[in-house]
Amino acid sequence: MFPGARAFPEGELTLMKEDPQENEKSAAASVLGPGAVPIVLRVNGETHPLLVEPRTTLAEALRGSLGLTGTKIACNQGACSACSVWLDDLVVASCSILAIEVGERRITTIEGLAAGGRLHPVQEAFIAHDAVQCGFCTPGLVMSCAALLAGNPHPGEAEIQTAISGHLCRCGTYPHVVQAILALADAKGD
Amino acid sequence: MEAFQWQQARSPAEAAALVTQTTAEAMLTLQGTPSAQQAILVKAGGVDMLDLMKEGLVNPRRLVDISRLAELQGISREGDDSLRIGALTTLAQIAAHPGLRQSHAALAQAAAMAASPQIRNRATLGGNLLQRPRCWYLRSAAHHCLRKGGGHCFAFAGDNRYHAIFANHGCAIVHPSTPATALLAFHAQVELLHPQGQRRQVPLEDFFVLPEADMHRENILAAGEILTAVWLPPQIQTNRSIYLQVAEREAFDWPLAAVAVVVDLDAAGLCQRASIVLGAVAPAPWRARQAEALLTGATINGKTAEAAGEAALAGATPLAQNAYKLPLLATLVRRAVLAAAALPQDPRAS
Amino acid sequence: MDDEFPRRREKFPFGLAHLGLDEVEREIPADEPPPLAPNAALTQIGKDIRRWDAWAKVTGAARYTVDVHLPGMLHAAVLRSPLPHARIRSLDLSPAASAPGVHAALTVVEPPADGVPTVLRYVGQPVAALAADTPALAEAALRLIQVEYEPLPFVVDLDGARRPDAPIVYPDSEWQKSPSAGLPAAAGDLPITGNIRGPESKGSRGDIGAGFAAAEIVVDGTYHTQVQTHCCLEPHAIVAAWHEGGLDVWMSTQFTAGVRAQLARHFQLPLSRVRVRAEAVGGGFGSKSQIGIYGRTAVALSRLAKVPIRLVYRRDEEQMDSGNRPSSEQHLRIGARRDGTLTALSLHSYGSAGIAFGAGVGNMATALYRCPHVESRQYDVFTHAGPACPMRGPGNTQGAFALEQGIDELAGKLAMDPLALRDVIDPSPVRREERRMGAERIGWTQRKPPGADQGPVKRGMGMAQSLWSANIQTNAACELRLWRDGRVEVLSSVQDIGTGVGTVLAQVVAEELGLQPEDIHVRIGDTEFPSGPPSYGSRTTASITPPARTAAWQIKEALFRSVASAWQVDPQRLTVQDGWIHLRDEPQQRISWREAAAALRTDRISAFAGRSDDYAGFRSRSGDAAMALNDLGGVQFAEVAVDTETGVIRVERVVAVQDCGRPINPLQIESQVQGGVLMGVSYALLEERILDTNTGWMLNPNLVDYKLTGAWDTPQIEVVLLENYQGFSATDAYGIAEPANIATAAAIANAVYNAIGVRMRSLPMTPAKVLHALGAVSGGPR
Repeated sequence: MFPGARAFPEGELTLMKEDPQENEKSAAASVLGPGAVPIVLRVNGETHPLLVEPRTTLAEALRGSLGLTGTKIACNQGACSACSVWLDDLVVASCSILAIEVGERRITTIEGLAAGGRLHPVQEAFIAHDAVQCGFCTPGLVMSCAALLAGNPHPGEAEIQTAISGHLCRCGTYPHVVQAILALADAKGD
Repeated sequence: MEAFQWQQARSPAEAAALVTQTTAEAMLTLQGTPSAQQAILVKAGGVDMLDLMKEGLVNPRRLVDISRLAELQGISREGDDSLRIGALTTLAQIAAHPGLRQSHAALAQAAAMAASPQIRNRATLGGNLLQRPRCWYLRSAAHHCLRKGGGHCFAFAGDNRYHAIFANHGCAIVHPSTPATALLAFHAQVELLHPQGQRRQVPLEDFFVLPEADMHRENILAAGEILTAVWLPPQIQTNRSIYLQVAEREAFDWPLAAVAVVVDLDAAGLCQRASIVLGAVAPAPWRARQAEALLTGATINGKTAEAAGEAALAGATPLAQNAYKLPLLATLVRRAVLAAAALPQDPRAS
Repeated sequence: MDDEFPRRREKFPFGLAHLGLDEVEREIPADEPPPLAPNAALTQIGKDIRRWDAWAKVTGAARYTVDVHLPGMLHAAVLRSPLPHARIRSLDLSPAASAPGVHAALTVVEPPADGVPTVLRYVGQPVAALAADTPALAEAALRLIQVEYEPLPFVVDLDGARRPDAPIVYPDSEWQKSPSAGLPAAAGDLPITGNIRGPESKGSRGDIGAGFAAAEIVVDGTYHTQVQTHCCLEPHAIVAAWHEGGLDVWMSTQFTAGVRAQLARHFQLPLSRVRVRAEAVGGGFGSKSQIGIYGRTAVALSRLAKVPIRLVYRRDEEQMDSGNRPSSEQHLRIGARRDGTLTALSLHSYGSAGIAFGAGVGNMATALYRCPHVESRQYDVFTHAGPACPMRGPGNTQGAFALEQGIDELAGKLAMDPLALRDVIDPSPVRREERRMGAERIGWTQRKPPGADQGPVKRGMGMAQSLWSANIQTNAACELRLWRDGRVEVLSSVQDIGTGVGTVLAQVVAEELGLQPEDIHVRIGDTEFPSGPPSYGSRTTASITPPARTAAWQIKEALFRSVASAWQVDPQRLTVQDGWIHLRDEPQQRISWREAAAALRTDRISAFAGRSDDYAGFRSRSGDAAMALNDLGGVQFAEVAVDTETGVIRVERVVAVQDCGRPINPLQIESQVQGGVLMGVSYALLEERILDTNTGWMLNPNLVDYKLTGAWDTPQIEVVLLENYQGFSATDAYGIAEPANIATAAAIANAVYNAIGVRMRSLPMTPAKVLHALGAVSGGPR
């Protein structure tokens, strides 16, 4: 569930980059793993070389090796969207993607949303409308709402509800989340 | 999740050559034989595969990743006006595709209702068609059920509220794909790539396998075969389609029952052809043939739609807890037929 | 106990603010501040102040227990029973203990020895645990533990467990070792027959036979409620670091001070050597109140391995073994006269808290309405299922579903409006006003007769009431520090699990000190600070805000004395406003807060205050807990649309009229009420722990098949908040979390009845159940 993704480089790790025997047989693309494999993740504008086992999910790599614990794992099954990050411009559940398959795509996490110490308007709106209770689902919700506004600056209520339809919030912040984003949508006059 | 090797396929053919088993085969533990769990499996979006691996239902030795293969992506109109949807096209892309939303509304609607935005951004059409059923006994490593090679089905004596009411002999799974319901209504075909390089096209109807034929699989995909595309035959101008479902939750829920309807009305309003496919009620998308026959050549109105709804139930064998799906289906079929008939004449008109 | 201390008399605002306030005189401890004006006259209290930790939470900076990473930390994993009832014949940890990367292993159950068998009683029961370098190594090593199980007969359903030949969960008095599902804990030596324990008859009175004999109308119904799980988004989590100096624990808990006390007791450590921290907590709802087996296991592993241990539940562990709301079957019979007066009320309930006890349905039936003859018989039924624990309005949430539908049905039979009937039988003037306000807001006069709508989609309107005690933790304290640089800190071990108690503390202190809430540095969730109350039982604000205000007032008095001495005036002449201390009668004679603090004799002054008794006394007291004289009310109205052809219920609108004494932060209260309503909608329509009767396994131990409301299922929720002044404490504030949840499912059920004319007596009200109730399901093969 939480296979240990480790920071790179780490001396004592046995690097199992390729399995030569396997490659001989198939003469195909490289076989990596099952041990730790070096990869590079582009997260929040920075490039991070890492060692991960192929089984390491993106959520685990972000939270473990990179210490970006703002991304939360709650169901680990794509059912609650607490782990939402952006893969390029798409919101995805990082618990349901392997770190090894991300490749060159840009990842944006909640830590990368506030630019230069200034909160993203969605973050401001969440605070102003008290769209936060225990806060555990909040980073994911913020990422979904910010992605929505990036593609559609004036969403209606239904579009907001659809954008957050994958999120579970046990404290019940949905009404205030919708209110917060509606206020932003209205305020963003062309 | 167990450790595994990783291999990035460079072409569909390479993937087909590498893969040793289907996911269904890899999940089989036949009685008396220890599970080999040495499979090399193909992974597309990985949504279902990771789910199965986290539960320990499948522990492949290696995953061959095809998710980045460009030739399996995208929607294209072919020479004969049929549509080819690459197997890696995501549900989000299908749901948002302007052309599809016009010509194959039911498919776009079904794709839009599946799962969550996050999942739709990752889940591929191929993966969606090939995902394992949602039966909670199948999904629980603690229940060695028939479909996994065990001795009996737990659903019959257990909790079968979400299970099949048609063709539920021996095993009562429902097919989990919502797009499949719509695809079958459009007479779609799947394109399969054989490990030796041949491609074949199979009507979706022949692709799915019922428990009475084989309890251990939901489709005819052979080991090493890769599902590369879905083909939609050209639609005639007068086709109208709709997908409706009822679930316990408004969004992000598996349907209790679903229906895709495609009707072709002539200028006089007579139904030339009707395609009615039921979802979430059978181990495969379920064609309601009697309902289709009833509507063909008939005028669609409240009465015929209602009769179609009743006819759609023919052959149903509900279990202890799922007879409620009958009235649900009858309603859905009636509503979908009426709604389809009331749609604008030209589905491609903007 | 306060009698030994000097007291003085003060006049407090009294009554419901919107109806005009009276005064009430109370005797208060001399070291507590003078009465607080009504909210309208205040600058910080009663205002929508931004949540204190919102910045940290929207940026991902907030640190939850799952985010705590200590050097050298190992990862723990738990081996769980695969069988609902089994005897362990043998248990051998050694192959796992010597596996690569494993540093400690222990049994959680008492291993079999000397002919004393070890019995497991539910699927998912912890058997053993180990700690390894990585979570994956820990999980892998679990498979090496050798356990020989002898399966025993089991029963997981309420009906089955009550049969005379049912497999027995606890032979003899072994149940006394079982955990309590908490409130309402049926205490004492109740009889046990088979799996049935009870009855608990609290609240019974009069002569039930005579009561029904006097009745002119009787309604009778059997109601079923399901098992609900808490589904905190942050799973149960602990990081435990045993060291030579004692024990450091980070835990996702609703009660840091309580966990400290439990750990100290269990591991025989002095309280002073145990430190428990909870910086941010991702929800609790009752399930994170205790140290629990998992907490003790992590600590024991840390003691063994001599390094920090992290134990975080997976979602399936969370669903199977972190507590739940017990099920219930309630037989309710109500007798009344034609004028609505109740003559008799009989409630027989059976509930299962799994292997735990305390599956009662609360005091709704016995305490909400006037009734001379009441018979309440509440039974626990043991089953081979995971133990329940308190969950948001424990007991009363189940009880409300039955009682409030029974009253609704009675109103129908009496041809009375349900509100009018309640005006006759409900003694609470607060709820009467809440009914009036709610009816006005929802448009109750538009309500139609049951099933009146034409067409397949029928709309309806219903309401239900809540009852919850206003709880107080008397062992609740905080410290106020004023530093020479002017910085003000409020310190308490009280934890913020999402309720916003930190904001409330800042507001109360800022109000008293004439500062802004953002000037107040809130330091909570750490037992190094004075012990705060738990975040359960809707008692946190009520318990911690009075001492916070008292301590702030004492600090202010100290600073005034310092300034007054410099100015050579009577400190009584000083006041503080907007960060300036000045003379009341000569405002131009002033000094800034910061300058005044700079003149302090020492770097830091401090005041400490604990929760005193309510000024009018308590209704009851038990240990650290007390109940205020007043109850908390709450009335909710729901509008639903029922598709009679699909059975789908949509809750379109909920009006929640709630009271919590003096509201301190209406916006946060609105958030919490919305949460209570949503949990109620979820309980009403979706949620259900489904156990397989043949294997004992939970079939939906995830968040896919265990369904919670999402954004699309959310009704329009309108919160109407009363200001109810009683002059009970330095802040007069009470709780809201549980009252906001209790009435919702019943209000929805009554609205469904109003829509379709058929009563839904079983939760959750799924499309399948609605279609059955409407007679649309004939069943059988075709």
